[in-house]
Order: sequence, then structure tokens, then C-alpha cells
Amino acid sequence: MTERDRNWLTLFATGLILLIVYPFFADGYQLTVIRDALIFGLFAASLDFFWGRTGILCFGHAAFFGLGGYVMALITLNGSVPLAGLVGLLGAIAAAALLAAVIGYFLFFGGIRGSYFTIVTLATGVICQQAAISWSSVTGGDSGLIGIPPLEIDFAGIRIDLGQDLASYVFISIIVAIVVLLLWQLSRGRWGKVLTAIQDNEVRAAALGHNASLRLLLTFVVSAAIAGLAGALYVCMAGLIAPDLSGLLLSTEVTVWVAVGGRGTLLGPVVGALVIQRAQQEISSFNPSLWPLILGLLFIVIVFALPDGVLSIFSRLKAIFRKTEPAR
Amino acid sequence: MSQALLKASGIGVRFGGLKALDGIDYAVGERELSCIIGPNGAGKSTFLNVLTGTLRPSQGSVLFAGTSITGLGLNRIARLGVARKFQIPSVFPSLSVEENLDVARWGTASAARSTKELLELVQLDRVAGKLAGELAHGQKQWLEIGMAIAIGPKLLLLDEPTAGMTPQETLATAELLLRLKGEFSIVAVEHDIRFVRALDCETLVLHQGRKLRSGPFREIEADETVRNVYLGRR
Repeated sequence: MTERDRNWLTLFATGLILLIVYPFFADGYQLTVIRDALIFGLFAASLDFFWGRTGILCFGHAAFFGLGGYVMALITLNGSVPLAGLVGLLGAIAAAALLAAVIGYFLFFGGIRGSYFTIVTLATGVICQQAAISWSSVTGGDSGLIGIPPLEIDFAGIRIDLGQDLASYVFISIIVAIVVLLLWQLSRGRWGKVLTAIQDNEVRAAALGHNASLRLLLTFVVSAAIAGLAGALYVCMAGLIAPDLSGLLLSTEVTVWVAVGGRGTLLGPVVGALVIQRAQQEISSFNPSLWPLILGLLFIVIVFALPDGVLSIFSRLKAIFRKTEPAR
Repeated sequence: MSQALLKASGIGVRFGGLKALDGIDYAVGERELSCIIGPNGAGKSTFLNVLTGTLRPSQGSVLFAGTSITGLGLNRIARLGVARKFQIPSVFPSLSVEENLDVARWGTASAARSTKELLELVQLDRVAGKLAGELAHGQKQWLEIGMAIAIGPKLLLLDEPTAGMTPQETLATAELLLRLKGEFSIVAVEHDIRFVRALDCETLVLHQGRKLRSGPFREIEADETVRNVYLGRR
């Protein structure tokens, strides 16, 4: 295990402890705030799994989040689907994965990379938001769908009812922790190393027998599937879905969370999502129009001053201390 | 010559009005070592690109183990057993030396050597944990040769493997190839005559896109025409 891995696990464990301790000090409302922020943290981690490992930015990731949300909403609101909660979650994951597979297939196997990929995915996000607004007989148009019931899973003797604040907080914390841990395992193992190789030199990786396009496609699909899961979880916590949740603004925000938290770290983006949403609430409470300005400025500062994210301050400080230490 | 593993017949390549290659026949037997030499602009790299299937010739055909590989995806060609070392050392700079070899071994199902054996073979066991981007130039070249060997090829094509190496490193590279000879076929495109002399193998001389001579290096070296166009003007 490398030093980097140990640091990651330490940070992960610290985060877990904070999540466990928090309910002893917080009231129900505060728990739901953190819970919803964590769902967006999961969304950020899903983008980071793709962007951080391949170096290719998907600027329409909210399309998958929104699609997952709409699928969940439609299945649970239908009323005749058995095990609606579970079917909704699986359906959301599958729908997002399928959309990513279709878009990704044509892009990756067509040799589209880099900023062209970013532009096409940006357009995809805009199209999805437009579809959500226009197809009002299904999606409820501009006002979206409301009255989505809290997640209730009753399957094989296991009964989970997430109408309670604490129960839903615990459930989401567990899901986020497990998914982030799995993504981390995938990133540091064979899968991640081959992706790093492809990012370094795709032609070389292909000349060694790796099917780079397929590997990128599968990574994109996994990333989108998790974004879809996050979207589905969000709508059954919030109880509503609207076209904004598949739109450009959310895609921009998730990009900022990842960039601020530290691309390629998986944990950083979760922290980034929590911190920035908190800041957004504070700032919006005294002046709502100030927030987009600050968000934009923050993004620019991060990209120029701390391209590896805010968490990289620690490793930078460490490097400075090492330099000033007398040589042994 | 044993049965041909790679057979190129009547290869011609045109880039617009320029004839880069013209009517070249070439064959490499199984487990044979051979070299392609020629002055700058002779068409060596173009010919290698044709042999590896990455460039479709305007005329002629290339058969690897009896089937055409021209136009197949790079990864398919690698999986059939064709390994290639590029002219510019192209290792994965963000991965360690060991990880570079791991990634190479995972590319195909035919890896014959363990990463540890490969590290020893290319003498990089002491820097196994170092990032490949931080290696010295000669070490990068060796790492890339190691990666090409790692996929367990039937045919190894090397494009100027000793470019930028010191004379000692060049000779060590020749020794490495001589050790691997007999395990799989090797074709080296080279510029450095000392290297080719050390390999002392079947050699094809290209000049202005045409085959000038071919045969054992000793005969080539003694050939008057070859001396005039190439060896004499070092």
C-alpha cells in the first residue's frame, strides 16, 4: 500500500467518523441538509471517476442525474409497479447507463476525445433539459413532477422505510460510502492503471493490445450509472423533480465541485460538493444573485492557482515543510 | 529460410505524387532476427508502418501468419502477436516502471514473462518503483522494449531502438536482442551501423524507396553499391 493510499483511507475513515458522530449533535432538518448534499457528493464522485481517470471532461453529466431522477419519479408515481422503490433505483441506473452507452459508443469509437467530447456532452445536457421541459405529458414540463414517495424497499424480508430523517441520513451515508470505496478500489487497481496509461498515451496502450475505446466507454457507462443512481436517490428524498436537475447549471456546478475538491481523488469531490453547497446556502441567504458570480470566480481561481483541488494545499504544505527540514 | 511469418509482396506507397516505396518484397521467417537499414528518407519508417498494418500500401499486400492485418485496429494487431517499439520512446510517464510493464502484460492474453522477469531482462529492477517519466532516455528505450516483449509477441518490430543511446547502451541492446533471438521473430529498423554489425543478421537495405540489396550483413557491408550510398558516407 502506498503512502497515497494510506492518506486516502485516513481521510475516508475521518469522513465516516464525522458522519457517524453528526446525528448526535444535529436536529432532523440539519440531517436532511447533509443527506441531500451527500447525494450531490455521490454525483460529483461519479463525474470524477470518469473525468479524473480519463482526463476527458463530460460537461453534461446532469443529463444522467436528471434521467435517473425522472425514471425513478415515473416508476414510483405510476402506482401499479410492484417493489416500486427497488425497481425505480435499478431502472434509473439502467436508463442512465443505456444513454451513456449510446452516446459514448458513437463518440469513443468515432475517435472523439478531449474538448470535442466535452462540447458534445454539453449539447447532450442541453437537449435532455429541453426534452424534460417540452415533453410535458410525461415529465410535467417546466414544473416537473411532485409527490414522489420516500424510498421504501420491502424485499426478501428486508424492509427499509426512509420516511424518517435519521433513517434516510444513515441509508444515504452508507450508500455513498460503499460506492465511493468501490470506485476507489476500481481506480487504484488494474482498471485505473490501464485508464491512466490510456490517458498518458492512447496509441501506445492500443499497440499493447488494450481496447482503449471500449475501456473508455465502460468507464463512462459506470460513471453515468452512478450519476443516475444519485438522481434517483435525490428525487425520493426531495419528493420532486424538475428540468433543472438535468440542466446546464447543475452540470457546471458538479464540474466545479470536482475541480475544487480535487480531480482524481474521489473523496475530494464529495467534500467539495458538501462545502460549496453549504457556502451557497449561506451566501444566497443574504443575496441570491451573488452566488453565480462567486461560483464562477471560485472556479477560475481554482483552475489557475490550485489545479489539483483545494485538498492539494495539504500535500503542498507538506512538500514545503520537507524542503525546509534540515537534510539528514 | 524457415516458413515465413511475415510476408510482404510488391509493396508500393504513394503520398500524393511522391513514391515513398516501390515494389518491395520482403519476408521474415519464424524466430528470425533481421534488420532494415538505409539512409534518411529511404522509407524505413514508412515500410515499418506498412508491415505493422498501420499504413495501407497503395500496392501489394502484407500477410502475417497467412492473414492480412492491414487496416485492423492497433489492439487487434497486438493481440495477433505483433509488438512494436515506437521511434520516440513512448512509455506511460504517470505510471511507475513496474506498472508500465503490468499494463503491457494485461494488454493481451499471451504474456509469457512475469513482471519481475521482465524487470530483470531489461535491467530496470532497481528502478521498478520510479515513475517512467523520470527515467533517463536510455532506460526509457529499454522499458519500451520490455513492454513490447511483455505482450508475448510472435513478431517484435523495433523502430530505431538505439536512437539517442550511448555506444555502451547500443551494444547492450544488441546483446539483449541476440538473447531473445530464437524466441520470436525480430525486425529492427536502424540507423546505427555498429548496432547492425553487432546483430550480424539478415539485412534489407532500402534506398530511395526501393530495395537496394538484401542478405547477411557481412555481404551487405562488403557490397560496393551499399558502401557508396550509405556506409561510406558516415
